[in-house]
Amino acid sequence: MSKVFAVIRREFVERVRTKAFVIGTLLGPLFFIGMAVLPALLLSRETAGRKVVVIDAGTGEFGGKVTAALAAAKKGSGTKAEAKFVPTLVVAGARAEEVRDSVVRITGLSKRLDGSIDGIVMVSESGISKGQVTYLGVNVGSPRDMEDLRKLLSPVMMTERLRRAGVDPVVALGAVVPLGLETRKVSEGKLTDESGGATFALAYAMGFILYISLLLYGTQVMSSVIEEKSNRIMEILVSSLTPFQLLLGKVVGVGLVSMLQIGVWTTAAKLLRDFQPQIMKAFGVSAAAGGGMPFMLPSMPTDLMVIFLIYFALGFLLYSAAYAAIGSMCTTIQETQQAQMPVMLFIIMGLMSMFALLNEPNGTLARVLSMVPPLAPFVVPVRYSIAPIPIGELLLSIGSTVAGLLLIVWVAARIYRVGILSYGKKASVKDLWRWVRAS
Amino acid sequence: MAETVIAVSGVTKRFAGHTAVKNLSMTVERGGIFGLLGPNGAGKSTTIRMIMNIFMPDEGQVTVLGSTAGSRGLSSRIGYLPEERGLYPKMKVIDQIIFLAEAKGIPRSIARKRAIDWLARLDLTDWTARKVQDLSKGMQQKIQFIGALLHEPELLVLDEPFSGLDPLNSKTMREVVVEIARQGRTVLFSTHIMEHAEKMCDHIVIIAHGEKRVDGTLADIKRDSGGHHVALAFTRNADRAARVLQDRSLVSKVSDFGATAEVELAANETGDRLLEALVREGVGLSRFQVMEASLQSIFEAKVGLDGARPVAIREES
Repeated sequence: MSKVFAVIRREFVERVRTKAFVIGTLLGPLFFIGMAVLPALLLSRETAGRKVVVIDAGTGEFGGKVTAALAAAKKGSGTKAEAKFVPTLVVAGARAEEVRDSVVRITGLSKRLDGSIDGIVMVSESGISKGQVTYLGVNVGSPRDMEDLRKLLSPVMMTERLRRAGVDPVVALGAVVPLGLETRKVSEGKLTDESGGATFALAYAMGFILYISLLLYGTQVMSSVIEEKSNRIMEILVSSLTPFQLLLGKVVGVGLVSMLQIGVWTTAAKLLRDFQPQIMKAFGVSAAAGGGMPFMLPSMPTDLMVIFLIYFALGFLLYSAAYAAIGSMCTTIQETQQAQMPVMLFIIMGLMSMFALLNEPNGTLARVLSMVPPLAPFVVPVRYSIAPIPIGELLLSIGSTVAGLLLIVWVAARIYRVGILSYGKKASVKDLWRWVRAS
Repeated sequence: MAETVIAVSGVTKRFAGHTAVKNLSMTVERGGIFGLLGPNGAGKSTTIRMIMNIFMPDEGQVTVLGSTAGSRGLSSRIGYLPEERGLYPKMKVIDQIIFLAEAKGIPRSIARKRAIDWLARLDLTDWTARKVQDLSKGMQQKIQFIGALLHEPELLVLDEPFSGLDPLNSKTMREVVVEIARQGRTVLFSTHIMEHAEKMCDHIVIIAHGEKRVDGTLADIKRDSGGHHVALAFTRNADRAARVLQDRSLVSKVSDFGATAEVELAANETGDRLLEALVREGVGLSRFQVMEASLQSIFEAKVGLDGARPVAIREES
């Protein structure tokens, strides 16, 4: 066992000491801070509101209301709030199209030109009867801007149409409210404080952590095997250690590095959530400025945490062993591109199946996938986060995953044992079969 | 009878389209230095890899330290320096040596102490904290050498240990090998440099094209090689000497090196007639010594030109 520890220690220490690891580990928290702060920062730095021309093909009455609504829209809150739009009303009457053409010519020009307009809102009598407003502008491709505009103009249009229909808008709008659907999760006959959105975010985050770890670190196991082959140190190693000891030490060592990095990232994310207002303040923006995206990190119940850690470990060992076998089959990194396709396929399938079963976490598909060893590490934690899994089924899934893990490690170790000392051409499927069968 | 440390019996190893080792048998006994000799591509490294359980023989059996090679716990009793030298280039020298010792089951603290002692002995103390990639090839070879013997193995297997070393480093390492053998431990090393083998080995096996050509103690081999040998060194008219040496009634075989030569006398010759003939031709001599055959001449005789010709297929598949 002490020999395996020596390999684990070497893999861990040598990796953690590298600049790449230190930089990568520090970049994670910086990335989170950037994600939380940048949008708010960018929005708050946007200076003057958008210059908009409202062209009314009618009498100007409705156009005036639209202009007033645009002028009243603010971004940010409190004393720092600024106008979102700087609207100008043009009552064009029958000449609406000609006016539009002339305004288009000065729309979307370089910002340096003072006369440039950002957008045109066109209203008309026929538009009111159809409940329609036309917007022309450079930012029509931005879903957020368009949603903003729709939200802003909807009540104006509705009020106008109600008024024309002879209904008191105050009474009618007071009666019409969108349905608020409040969700709270029930788990094992108990009401929890989790909402549906938090559950989804949690499930997504767990799958993504496994996916990232496999992508970053599973491939490191592979390249480390190739490095040992190309350094020609392999012959000394196999004269001291059994291939299985070497494989186990390598996979566990790299796994611990991965867990350390993810631990740092997760802690940073948690700290960021807890101290978000202070961090935002340090950058000179208020947390709510411009609707800056709040960084959501749902809380994780202990049982789910345990399930996640079990499947993370199983999944990591399983895929890393497969990656080690692939590394041993190849002599250069280039050769691995093709050879690792089957493993990549399973990882992507795992990630996709996570989404597939969000709607039916206890359906037949979900149950079947939970028994497939390469997919269970993705599927089971997500299922468990949405709905409880009967203990028998859970144990069966863990059992089958462990069995699959042992099988893959066994096959990988046999491929590895022969592969690590073979140089030259990449192993064919026939070679692999021969290696696995060799005693 | 001495205890057998390595027993290779009837071993054959084939690679795609070529047989690297053919029906080879040899025995290495405890204590002393055993030389595995042969030209390039003779099958020395393949034989050593089978002894180290890196390759499995296709036929025959290899027994090391009483058990079939590769059984658990055996690796801590054997030190190995492979022909393909390799280390982790980004690791510090001291960490590298400690790791190699730990992989042999030596506790970390003991490994560190021994590593420091060995680095000092091989004049590498200044490089202790440097990365392996900063070292010269010769230094890296010494690091690997330390790695092979730090766990004080009872059997040391060295594949071409002195190749690529300058004369001083080569001498230092040869002294270490001799010291280990004197402690009653066993050393098996392969080489194609006859001078090293002749100076160091107690027992020799020569192979060519995967087949054994010679097997025995150095003294027995020299005695059995038969005939009288004469070492010559010329001071003038060496060209005339060549004519004399072609006389097959005097000389049966010649290794002519220009300024010196080693000849095997024809049957029943004692050397007197050869000396007389050389003097008569006006050849100046600084050395005329009747002696046993040198390992070099035995090697040439047993391996021959055909044995030294490389096989045009790579060894590994």
